[in-house]
Amino acid sequence: MEPLLKIEKLVSHIGLFTILHDVNIEINKGEAVVILGRNGVGKTTLLKAIMGLVKSKSGTLEFENKNIIERPTYEIARKGIGYVPEDYGVFDLLSVEENIKIAISKKTTSIEDKIAYIFDLFPDLKIAYKRSASTLSGGQRQMLSISKVLVNENKLMLVDEPSKGLAPIIVERLARALREISKTTTVLLVEQNFALACAVGSRYYIIDEGRTVKNGKVQDLVKDSNLQKKYLGVT
Amino acid sequence: MTGLFYNLIEMIIKRRKVYKNLSISIGGLIFFTTLLLFVTILPHVSGFSTKVLYSRIFILAVYGMSYDILRGYTGFINLGHAIFFGSGAYIVGIFLTHFGNNLTVLALAILTVLIYSSLAALIMGKIVFKGGGVIAAAMVTMALGEIVRNVAERWREVTMGADGLPFRVPDMFRDRIMIYYYAFLFLIIMTLALRQFILSPTGRVLLAIRENEQRAIFLGFDTKKYKMIALQVAGLSAGLAGAMFALLNRFANTDLLTVQQTLNALLMTLVGGTGTLYGAIVGSAFISLTQDTLLDLRAVHPIFDRWLLFFGSIYVLVVLFMPSGFVGLYNSKMAKLQVRLVQRKK
Repeated sequence: MEPLLKIEKLVSHIGLFTILHDVNIEINKGEAVVILGRNGVGKTTLLKAIMGLVKSKSGTLEFENKNIIERPTYEIARKGIGYVPEDYGVFDLLSVEENIKIAISKKTTSIEDKIAYIFDLFPDLKIAYKRSASTLSGGQRQMLSISKVLVNENKLMLVDEPSKGLAPIIVERLARALREISKTTTVLLVEQNFALACAVGSRYYIIDEGRTVKNGKVQDLVKDSNLQKKYLGVT
Repeated sequence: MTGLFYNLIEMIIKRRKVYKNLSISIGGLIFFTTLLLFVTILPHVSGFSTKVLYSRIFILAVYGMSYDILRGYTGFINLGHAIFFGSGAYIVGIFLTHFGNNLTVLALAILTVLIYSSLAALIMGKIVFKGGGVIAAAMVTMALGEIVRNVAERWREVTMGADGLPFRVPDMFRDRIMIYYYAFLFLIIMTLALRQFILSPTGRVLLAIRENEQRAIFLGFDTKKYKMIALQVAGLSAGLAGAMFALLNRFANTDLLTVQQTLNALLMTLVGGTGTLYGAIVGSAFISLTQDTLLDLRAVHPIFDRWLLFFGSIYVLVVLFMPSGFVGLYNSKMAKLQVRLVQRKK
């Protein structure tokens, strides 16, 4: 079976600085894959490179067997890749309802069902539906950000550090929601919170200094304390 | 007393929900009815200069709103916006001078204004939306504006150059009371049309682009296309405002194409409130009325011969103490009041 997303020897840079030196990742349809690594190793840059927000010098970046390097970001998004950035990606000038509705693509069908599903996952958004997005808390903003991707039939969902800056109880709720989402959508999750990553992902890749250095099953990583200590700083 | 005030506000907000389909509150209804009555009666009880002043306010308000579509809803600073306004005025003047002074020619002139504005917006958009940022776009549009102004100045046989182009208008536009009403009708139609545009899904996308273009892109929006739509709408509105302005003044000159003319629109939106649409109406009224009052004061004391000094000071004060403009300030006060009402209920 051909992978949904295939990344080979990817080299990406921001301005003069090369951030990704050699990244190799394969994600199959229906999988939940987590990208792990310490701060500043290039995890967020990888997601941005997939979305075309960061230039890639060389390597392969294929989605459904089609090269997406050099494609404009809006075209990549239209191919069915939803992106939840680490800074939430919420529009404060719009209401919660407008934030969700603006994200609905032309291809999307049965919108009402999807909104009902979102309310099921995140009841907070149902209460705040008509309110301005600027009034939401950090956790609610993250929920809205994820909902904006969920409202479409995306083939792949990229989620960047959803737990960042959130209280543990909110992180728990997000973990439950992401686990639920990963049952129906292919998810690529970048996460520093090891517990959240383990709760959502089935496979992992570790990035160190812009290179994928390890990969395997999450359940094996949980048992391997040496690997955790070496690359993730988990003690 | 405060409790009574809050109850009144609460009642208005509740009523607003009932009449949601009409998108207007009871307070708003009273305000607009009074305003409508005032505007209807005004030309019959005022002199020539007041009629012209208010007609001017109505038309410039549309010009200001057209600028707000760009500045307030996409964040694009267009320093060549006067291209649309000035050219609209010139096209009407040239048509009425060279092809006859009747309504058919005027209709053709308006059609030409629309086609010209659309083409000019297309060319401008193709150049400035290639990338380079807000400042680069401002500089390029300023240069484009200067090119058009220079062409108008040098093409003397058609535009009469720096002397300006006086022309006669069809009979129905000669009566100052009638042109006052046409200008008011024009303002109402354009306000409703632009409001509809802002509230449409395209308008919401423009707001999203203004807030964070990158986020809008990774939602799958080709933001250049949306900015182009905004530029088209703004260009067409400004072109029509220019055409109306020409019919009011029966004169077009190169001042209408200068950067100063663009800055007038910018100041109107700044004073009224950027990104509020209606702010341009308030801004246009405030600026024109202040200017007119200061000019009248010259007869009272010679110090007002330096009226520009006072005018500039008023600008500075407004921008310093009301950075979000009159309408922006009103909106934020109302939002705070609603929050307090909700908290009070809890």
